[in-house]
Amino acid sequence: MSERFAVKDLITVGIFSVIMIVLIFAFGMLGYIPILMIGLPIIAALICGIPFMLFLTRVNKFGMVTLMGLILGIVMFLSGHTWIPIVVFTLCALIADIILKMGDYSSVKNSIIAHGVFILGVFGNMLPFFILRDYFLGAIAESMGNDYVNVISPFLTYECLIVLVILTFIVGCISAYVGKLVLKKHFEKAGIA
Amino acid sequence: MELGLDNQFKIDPRTKIILLVIISFMVFNEAPLYVSGILVLVPFICLFFSDYKKAAIIYIFLYVIARYIQIYLLPNTTGIVSILLVTFSYTASRMLPIFVMGYYTITSTKVSEFIASMEKSNVPKEIIIPISVIFRYIPSVYEEIKSITNAMKMRGFGFTTKSLKSPLKLIEFYMVPILISAVKTSDELSAASLTRGLSNPEKRTHLIDAEFNKWDYILLIVSIIGLGIYSYYFIGGVVLA
Repeated sequence: MSERFAVKDLITVGIFSVIMIVLIFAFGMLGYIPILMIGLPIIAALICGIPFMLFLTRVNKFGMVTLMGLILGIVMFLSGHTWIPIVVFTLCALIADIILKMGDYSSVKNSIIAHGVFILGVFGNMLPFFILRDYFLGAIAESMGNDYVNVISPFLTYECLIVLVILTFIVGCISAYVGKLVLKKHFEKAGIA
Repeated sequence: MELGLDNQFKIDPRTKIILLVIISFMVFNEAPLYVSGILVLVPFICLFFSDYKKAAIIYIFLYVIARYIQIYLLPNTTGIVSILLVTFSYTASRMLPIFVMGYYTITSTKVSEFIASMEKSNVPKEIIIPISVIFRYIPSVYEEIKSITNAMKMRGFGFTTKSLKSPLKLIEFYMVPILISAVKTSDELSAASLTRGLSNPEKRTHLIDAEFNKWDYILLIVSIIGLGIYSYYFIGGVVLA
């Protein structure tokens, strides 16, 4: 195992993880506005496209994307998001890695789809909130009657979760495409893509 | 604290991680204060006896307010105020302990300490190196963001309402310099670590000895007792019902 990655690859994974984390946390602050909290994965998908595409230009081995997912999950865990993100991030990243492998790490189409799958890992952060919502609903129903529950509950169902997952995937693909364009505009000229 | 220098409060990174895992069980269930109390106090103890007294007091203050709202104010309020209070108090009372513990883990751990204790417990290199890069690089990303903001202000494109009208441009202007400097840093770091022999397959030696001291054992025992009470409360409840 330790023969497979050079130190350079590991450092690349670390640096790009930092950028993803900073972006996710910076825009995660928006989540304190209640309605936007539900849309957080979509925002994350929107902004992580550019760094992810740049990261992919430096990936040529199977496992690097998976490793990045694992690292992101561990950092989420260390910063207090419970252990769920580790599992979800790693799984999504593994699927993304397999998709990339099928495109031999150079196919544009595969890398766009891979970003869509990879970014679904952000739901690892959301799942505890969705579990908490059941308690919220119970508490609200007890203290304020059923009217309020009827107003809020459309946003809290599992159907809504599924719609969110699909939307996030689509937005992730679009932002990966945008990322590819930005890469062409800025980084290829500078000779680092 | 009359404990003397060699009794300094210093816990091993491994203990911190175990504590995080234990506290994260708390998030999923609602429990009365006498059940979850011990686990709530663990981050407080950690913060209080290291150099974060202010943060510790703020934390316990917020927690008490959240609990107070939950128990005494909620039955008497109605309308939108009530929704806000429910959101605040439930989020705070469940998520706050684990957020604070995470904050403590990240701010109080030195990179070399972390590497030493991780290598002692045989965590593979593939995980240690990226995480130590993260510890090392996050502060410099913040500095870079600051200087990019300054440079943009100089060109008349700061955080104003005008620039917020074109958020795509804003994102592009931030993202491209950060990414370019990140790529450069990653090249420089790998060159630096190669010269220091990071790719050497031999076992590394460390200046810091990562050993469990008595604080580690005290905290671990306390939190395991807390977890025991906590799980007994739920499992026992199920059996009785």
